[in-house]
Amino acid sequence: MKRFNKLFLAVLVSSAFFVSCSNDDDNTQEARGDYDGGLFIVNEGNFGTPNGAISYLSDDLQIENDVFSLANPGKVTGDTPICIVFNGDLAYIVVNASNKIEVVNRYTFKSITTITTNLNNPRFIAFANGKGYITNWGDPLVTTDDYVAVLDLATNTISSSLISVVEGPEKIIENDGKLYIAHKGGYGQGNSLTVINSATNAVVTNFEVGDVPSALVKDNGTLYVLCNGRPSYAAPETAGKIVKVNLSNNTIASTLTFPDVTHPGFMDINNSKIYYTVDSNVYTTSTTSTTLPTAEIFKAAKVSTLYGFAVKNDNIYIADAGNYQDPGNAYIYSLTGTITSELGVGILPNGFYFNN
Amino acid sequence: MTLKKRFAFCFLLLCQFISAQNDSITKLKEVIVSDVNLKKYSSSQSVQVLNDSVINKNQPSLTSLLNYNTVIYFKENGLGMTSAPSFRGTTGAQTAVIWNGININSQFLGQADFNTIGTRDFNSITVKAGGGSVLYGSSAIGGSIHLNNDLRFKKEFSNQVFFSLGSYNTLSANYRTIVASDKYSLQISISRNSSDNDFKYPGNTNQRNTNGEYYNTSMNTTFGYKIDSKNTLKVYSQFYDSERHFSLTSPNGSKTKYGDFNTRNLLEWESLFNRFTSKLKVAHIGESYKYYPSITSELFTYGKVETSLIKYDLAFDVNDKIKLNSIVDYNRNKGYGSSIDNVKREIGSASILLSHSLSDKWDYNASIRQEVTDNYGNPFLFSFGTRYQFTDFYRVKINASKNFRMPTYNDLFWEGSGNPDLKPETSYQAEIGNEFFTKDFSVSVTAYYNSIKNLLRWVPSQGGGDMWSPENTDKVRAYGAEVILEWKPKIANNNFTINGTYAYTVSESEQLIAGELIYKQLIYVPYHKLTGSVSYNWKKFSSYFQYLYNGDAYTTPFNNPATKVKDYNVGNVGVDYDFGKKKSYKLGFQVLNVWNENYQPVTSRQMPGRNYSIYINLNF
Repeated sequence: MKRFNKLFLAVLVSSAFFVSCSNDDDNTQEARGDYDGGLFIVNEGNFGTPNGAISYLSDDLQIENDVFSLANPGKVTGDTPICIVFNGDLAYIVVNASNKIEVVNRYTFKSITTITTNLNNPRFIAFANGKGYITNWGDPLVTTDDYVAVLDLATNTISSSLISVVEGPEKIIENDGKLYIAHKGGYGQGNSLTVINSATNAVVTNFEVGDVPSALVKDNGTLYVLCNGRPSYAAPETAGKIVKVNLSNNTIASTLTFPDVTHPGFMDINNSKIYYTVDSNVYTTSTTSTTLPTAEIFKAAKVSTLYGFAVKNDNIYIADAGNYQDPGNAYIYSLTGTITSELGVGILPNGFYFNN
Repeated sequence: MTLKKRFAFCFLLLCQFISAQNDSITKLKEVIVSDVNLKKYSSSQSVQVLNDSVINKNQPSLTSLLNYNTVIYFKENGLGMTSAPSFRGTTGAQTAVIWNGININSQFLGQADFNTIGTRDFNSITVKAGGGSVLYGSSAIGGSIHLNNDLRFKKEFSNQVFFSLGSYNTLSANYRTIVASDKYSLQISISRNSSDNDFKYPGNTNQRNTNGEYYNTSMNTTFGYKIDSKNTLKVYSQFYDSERHFSLTSPNGSKTKYGDFNTRNLLEWESLFNRFTSKLKVAHIGESYKYYPSITSELFTYGKVETSLIKYDLAFDVNDKIKLNSIVDYNRNKGYGSSIDNVKREIGSASILLSHSLSDKWDYNASIRQEVTDNYGNPFLFSFGTRYQFTDFYRVKINASKNFRMPTYNDLFWEGSGNPDLKPETSYQAEIGNEFFTKDFSVSVTAYYNSIKNLLRWVPSQGGGDMWSPENTDKVRAYGAEVILEWKPKIANNNFTINGTYAYTVSESEQLIAGELIYKQLIYVPYHKLTGSVSYNWKKFSSYFQYLYNGDAYTTPFNNPATKVKDYNVGNVGVDYDFGKKKSYKLGFQVLNVWNENYQPVTSRQMPGRNYSIYINLNF
C-alpha cells in the first residue's frame, strides 16, 4: 500500500511537471508527431505471414498496436520485422522475411519509402558516415553468400557492391566510424565478430568471441558481447559467455563464462551494470565484475516465453511471446523486480526501441 | 486330391447358392473391389462414396473434391499449396488416407498433403467418418479417405480422355484405358495437372499471386489375373511426381519450392478355400521430398522413407450370417534425410474382426487389434458397432472405438530435437447415426463425441530460446453433428441429383490463460461447414452447381477474435453437352467462384476470384 502511494505520488508529480514543461516551452518543445518520445516494440508476427507489427508505448504508458498500418493506411508492416533503428529524424524497420526496409519519420511514423533491392534475409541495421549497414543472411542453405549491404542515406538506395562476411551476421553496432557485427550464425551457429571500416567499406578483422553471439552493447570504451552458447540440438553443447572487447584495439579484454551448459538469453547495460536473463530469471552484475552472480534479482514469473529485454533508467522491460501465436505481452519491472505495468502487444514481441 | 475335389464341389455349391439368392450379387462378382473389408466392417459408421461421375465434375485435387462434397474442412495454404484436413474437429494427422487398403500418410508428418493426391486415377473415393484404427492403423481418428481401384473381369476395351484448359494457364489431362476379359483385367490411368497460378487478387488491388506455379504427373496401373477359379493375383502401382512453388505472402519475400516423389506398389494374392478367403498382400511404399528454401540456389533439404509391408488376411465365413477375419501385418520402414539420420522402425499388429447378422434388421460388428512396436507404446485398440433397422425407411447405427496415431519420423528422430520417449495419441469415441431413406432420397444425421489425449505438439523449450521439441501435451474433446443428404428426383425427362452436407463441430483443448485453464476451440476448426450441389440432366445436356460455406475459424490457440479467418461462400457452375451417339463425347464449360468471393482459407493465403475452364471428356 505504501509503495502504491509512493508510486501514485510519483506519477502525479511527474505528470504535473510534464504538463508545466510543455506549457512553458511551447515553441521549442512541441511534440514532433504522435510518436515523439516513448518507445516502440517490434512484434515479429508469425514467420511466413505478413502480420508483424510495431507497437508504440507513450511516456504515459498508453499502448497503441500496429502504428505503421495506422499511420500509413493500406500498408502492412510485413512478414517478420526484426528491428527498428533510428537515425536523425528517421526510423528504419528491417522486415526479415519480406526482404524490405520500411523508412518512416520516427515521430509521425509516416512512410518515407520502402527499400527492397539488394536485400536477402536482412536482419539488423546500424549507421555510420551517412550510410546504413544492413546484415543479411542470404539464401538459407548457402553458407558463403552472407553479406553486409550498404545503404546510401541520401538516396535511400542500396549499393550493389555487397560486403561479403562469414556466415550468419546478426546484430550490428557502430563505434567511431567502425561497424561491429556479431555472427550469431543464421541458420547454423556462429562464433565470431567482424569489424568493418565505414571509410573503406572493407572488413578490418574477424575474430572468434564465443559460440552464438547474440547481443552487442557498448559501454565506456568496451563492447560487451553476449554469447548464448551452442544449444543442445547442435552438439557439442556449450555454455554461454559474456565477452568484453576493447574497442580501442579490437581485442578481447576478458571473458565471463557461464557454468555447465547454461544458456543466457538477453543482455543490456544500464548505469554501469550488466543485466542479463537466463530463462525467465533476471540477473545483474557490475560491468567491472570478474565473476557472475549466483543468484538472480528476480524471476519474471508471469513470462512464459522471454523474447525481448531492455533496461533503461529505472526500468526493466521484458517481452513475452507467450505461445508464439497469440498476441504477446510486455512487462515493465522496477530494477528490483516489482512489476509496474503489463501491456498487451502484438504477436512475438522481440524488443524495445526508445524514441529519444 | 479328394480334398481338392471337395473344395471345388463346395465352391460350386456356394456359387449356385449365391446366384440363386440374388442375381445382382453375381453381377457384382465381376467387379473386384480393392478393399472388401471397408464395406464389411463399416456398416455401423457413416460412409460416403464419391463415384467417378462426381470425381469428373470436380477439380482434380483431393482437397477440392472433398471440400465441396463432404463435411471435411480444409486448411489449404492457397490454391494447390499444402493442404491439411480437419475431419470432425481433429488435426491434419488424424485423418488416414488409404490407398487400396494401405495407409499412405506421410511417415515424416503423419498426415497426407491432400493437394498431392490426384482424384482422377481412382474409380471411387470413399469417405468414412469416425475411428478406423483397428482396420487402418495410425491416424484413422477423425476418419479415413479411401482411394480405390476396382477391377472388372468382363470383356472390355474402353478409353477415356479428359482434357481441360482454364484461367492462369491451368491444364488438367487424364487418360484412362481398360482392357479386360473374364480372365484378366488391366487398367492404366495417366494424369497431368499444371498451372501458372498467377491470378490477380480479387478486389481493388493490383497484387498478383506470385511464385504459385505447380505441376504434377501421376500414373496408376491396376492389373488383375484370375489364375484359376480360386486364385486371383492383383497388382496395384502408382507413381506420383510433383513440383510446387510456394506462393508468396509478401511481395518481395524469398521464393521457395517443394518437390514430391511418391511410389506405391502392392501385390495381392487371393485364394478361396471353401468358406475361407485368404489374402496375402506385399507392398512397397516410397515417399520423398525436396525443399528448396531459395529457388535461385540449387541447394535443397530432403527426406526419404521406404516402407515394406506384408499383410495376411484370412476371412472365414462361419455361415452366411457370421463372418470373421483375422489379420496380421508387419511393417518396416527406413528413413533418412537432411535432418533424419538413417533410422528404422518396425511395427507389427494382429487383429480379429467379427461381423454378425442377427436378423434381416439387426447386425453388429466387433473387432480388436494389438499393435507391437519398439518405438512407442503398444496400443490395444477396439471397435464395436451395431445397426438396427426399425422400419423400411429408418435405421440407427451406433459405434464406439479406440484409435491412435503414432509419433512421426520427425517427432521421434529429428536431429537434436526429436523425442524418443513419445507416446501415441489415443482417442476414445462414440457416435450414433440415424438414417432415413426411400428409393430416391436419403438423409443421415450423426452425432459424435471424441476424447483425444496425449496430443503431439512441438513446443518451445522452457524460458524461450529457439529450441523446439515434440511433447505429448494437450487433451482435446471434440463433439458435433453431421447431416448428409441425397435426393434424386425425376420429373419426366428431367433428372436431378441434389446433395448436401452440414457439419457442426466443437473441438476444444485446454489452454492456460493468465493462470486459468480454459477450454478453447482448436485453430482452423470452424463451427459450421455446409456444402451443396445440384445436378440437372436433360437429354444430352447436363449442368451442375456446387456450393461451399466455411464458417469463420480461430487462428490462435487462445482464440484471438481479431485474427480469425473470415467465413466464405464459394460457388461453381458447369454445363456440358454430350455429342456422342453410342459413345460419350462431352464438351463442357465451368465457371469457378462464380460471384468472385474474395477469401483466404488461411491467414494471408489468398484464393483466386472468378475463373473459367473448358473441358472435353471422351469415352470410347
